[in-house]
Amino acid sequence: MRSTREINRLLLGVLAGFAIVALAAAYWAIFGIDTILTREDNPRLFEAEAAILRGDIVDRADHLLATSTIGEDGSVSRNYEYPETSSALGYYSLRYGTGGAEAAYNSILRGDNRDFTTQLLHRPQVGTDIKLTLDLGIQQQIAQALNGRVGAVVVMGVPNGEILGLVSLPTYNPNTLDADWEMLIEAPGKPFFNRALQANYQPGGTLQTLLMAAALLNRQPLETVIENATDTVQLANVDVSCAVRLPEMALTLRDAYAFACPKPFEELAETLDREKIQDTFVTFQLNRPPSLEGFVPQPATGASVTSFPLITTDNLVENALGQGNLTVTPLQMAVMAAAIINDGNAPQPYTLAATRAAESDAWIPVEAIRPTIPYANANTARQLQDLMRSAVANGAAFNAARPNIDIGGHATIAYSGDETQAWFVGFATIAGRQAISVAVVLENSNDPGLAADIGGTVLAAAHEALRQN
Amino acid sequence: MTAITAPETNEKKSFLNVERILLLLAGVFLLVNFFALAFIRSGFGITDALQLVVWVVCAAAGQWWLERRLPRRDMLLFPIAMFLSGWGLLLINRLTQPFADRQTVWLVISVGVMMLVAGFPHPLRWLRNYRYILLMIGLVLLVGTIILGRNPSGFADAPQLWLGIGSVFFQPSEALKIILVAFLASYLAEQYPALRAEEMSGGRRFLNVSPRIYGPILLMWGMSVVILVWQRDLGTAILFFIVFLVLLYVASGSTFILASGAALILIAGVVAYKLFAVVELRVDIWLNPWPEADGRAFQIVQSLLAFAAGGIFGQGIGQGSPGYIPVTHSDFIFAAIAEEWGLLGIIVVITCIAVIVTRGLRIAISQRPQSFLSLLAAGLSMLIAVQSLMIMAGVLKVIPLTGVTLPFLSYGGSSLLISFIIIGLLLRLSASED
Repeated sequence: MRSTREINRLLLGVLAGFAIVALAAAYWAIFGIDTILTREDNPRLFEAEAAILRGDIVDRADHLLATSTIGEDGSVSRNYEYPETSSALGYYSLRYGTGGAEAAYNSILRGDNRDFTTQLLHRPQVGTDIKLTLDLGIQQQIAQALNGRVGAVVVMGVPNGEILGLVSLPTYNPNTLDADWEMLIEAPGKPFFNRALQANYQPGGTLQTLLMAAALLNRQPLETVIENATDTVQLANVDVSCAVRLPEMALTLRDAYAFACPKPFEELAETLDREKIQDTFVTFQLNRPPSLEGFVPQPATGASVTSFPLITTDNLVENALGQGNLTVTPLQMAVMAAAIINDGNAPQPYTLAATRAAESDAWIPVEAIRPTIPYANANTARQLQDLMRSAVANGAAFNAARPNIDIGGHATIAYSGDETQAWFVGFATIAGRQAISVAVVLENSNDPGLAADIGGTVLAAAHEALRQN
Repeated sequence: MTAITAPETNEKKSFLNVERILLLLAGVFLLVNFFALAFIRSGFGITDALQLVVWVVCAAAGQWWLERRLPRRDMLLFPIAMFLSGWGLLLINRLTQPFADRQTVWLVISVGVMMLVAGFPHPLRWLRNYRYILLMIGLVLLVGTIILGRNPSGFADAPQLWLGIGSVFFQPSEALKIILVAFLASYLAEQYPALRAEEMSGGRRFLNVSPRIYGPILLMWGMSVVILVWQRDLGTAILFFIVFLVLLYVASGSTFILASGAALILIAGVVAYKLFAVVELRVDIWLNPWPEADGRAFQIVQSLLAFAAGGIFGQGIGQGSPGYIPVTHSDFIFAAIAEEWGLLGIIVVITCIAVIVTRGLRIAISQRPQSFLSLLAAGLSMLIAVQSLMIMAGVLKVIPLTGVTLPFLSYGGSSLLISFIIIGLLLRLSASED
């Protein structure tokens, strides 16, 4: 039979077919990993995720805040021990992903940095434990003091910048997140929105501290008596008045600051003029809100004065009184207070203190260089400290005072639309250069005294917690 | 042109010949994977171990028998068939444990029948002489399936391709494969001189093709259409037709046949696309499965995900998730291998099947003096080749998916039995006794 040629051709064709199959398999095996394997409907992702034993989260004193346990059916569940920490820790859900610290340190907690052999041998993925700078006691004091009010509190350690307390209300129960999700995303208070870090509030009277810095730098007299200092300032949309109700009277600039009366600051802004005000605001980084690793992204490099909503002669008064287009976050105000108590040098906030690898007992501190940012010279900073101390001693922030603790602060009101927010920004010194700064904001509140009271409670709690080590 | 591959039988003194070495290696592979699986499952049952023992007994008995009966056989076919079927058995155990017992019984039957084929006096002559009786049996089986066909799953909607006695089911179309190839080989061996004479006449032969050629083509095409229409068995219909075309090509040497056959497949394909929902579905999800990844295209998308999840080295036995692919133990076993043994495993499977096909076609060449035997060897080899390519390319979305099994590896008694009969016949042909 003369069929050798045909059979050889067949063989060639068949082998070509096998080669095509092998190439197709190689294509999916090599390129599929980054393309189709990452599809959301790949059940393997879900399965692999569910099998990861996520790392624990502990506070600075080793209190266990969040942990993962393996159930009898082999599934891993995430448990949060304290409701007071939920707005800082966030959540971890197979279905809805991560939020808060769970999102910020997701890769560490998952243990994604596994070496090649561990992956090749299919050893179960066990995450790394993390120690946060948060203090459970402070968190609980904040939650108790806020007592369910809508608002936010940030507590920062000075001089290092560790975040000791971080609470935003309303919040949610991360243990029942999957069941509550639909309700939570519709909830009017936006519980997933971390007000302490993300909310852009009208600063209102809190900017008076910066105006005082500008006044000091430009040698404005603080003791000159100003007539009609308690008058209401009428802006285009809103009438701005003192933080506490005062009779019509004359005040020095120092006293006007203590009671957060806007009228003298309107005059001060007009006296100092646009450029000096803007210079001070830029020096205090109002145009560059602080970043917080994982939580708040780094501002784009090169962002400078030009990206700042320029203060013009038209909106000078509005912006100087914190009622213009300039907004701040509570974290930003906590950093400002920290800079003041740290002799003008702003510490950079952080939350991750240490990590502990799986199957290890040793915490490895997270070493990072976080240079302070100069906001003001030491002399100005110290004068501002004294101004804030006197606002607590005899001013609108009186409720922040606590016996035997050196506390300074500034309690004010800000207006946004029909609503008002009560602010308290302050500090407490401990010993040496050690101190604490705090920012409190209460939504729908015109009671700066309450904000100051909460601030004082929180500062006292932090003072107590830090003094013990 | 090509040297006959003479089996090495001159070193009888050594215990280890190629066949035994390969069987030992296959045994080691299975043993390692068996213990890896047992480790993942934290233990193994007595039946799991028994399956491995049965495989070893089958391998040893088959080898011993072949050594006695066909000393001059091809030394690669049997160990590779055993390797793949052992792998398949292990994989079925891993995927759908309860099915593995049944498959083990079929392995015993298959190897037993292969031994029968290898030891039976003159099976090839028998195949040739009683070809019309065989064809009748085949057609009766086909008609019987159309009338009495059932599906072991019991779903009324599933293709009714099985004949059942009690709980034992057999797929007649599988047996039909060998019967048809034998019949065609015998028919074409007789017609061969005439077919080649037409090639010799040359000139305008494209225009005056004789009924000797297009007659059988149309017959086979019609038969494939019948299988498709009445049984909705797209895979088998295409497989029959392609293998037949290929045999006709080998016999006639006319490339025109391949071209016209391919045209007929295309025409049938277009018509079937319009007429049959199952064909339309297969083509649609082949062209673009992604928008319907959780609907009609779920299976093929999960299959591709398995290939991607396996990567190059695979997840390891028992550690992937091929369970997401529906009927992974049958049509999609190739994807399961991809996920757990990776690209390396896939290349091993492809190579093994390629070696079987290559050896089979070599046997066809070596049997050139006897047209029937040559065509039979070519046809049987191409059955394995085309069926493997159809399902492998199908699960990889290279061609539309056609529901055929992957020889030796897929779950299915009929498929395993017929694959081993093919191996038995090829061994017989390689020993060139008839």
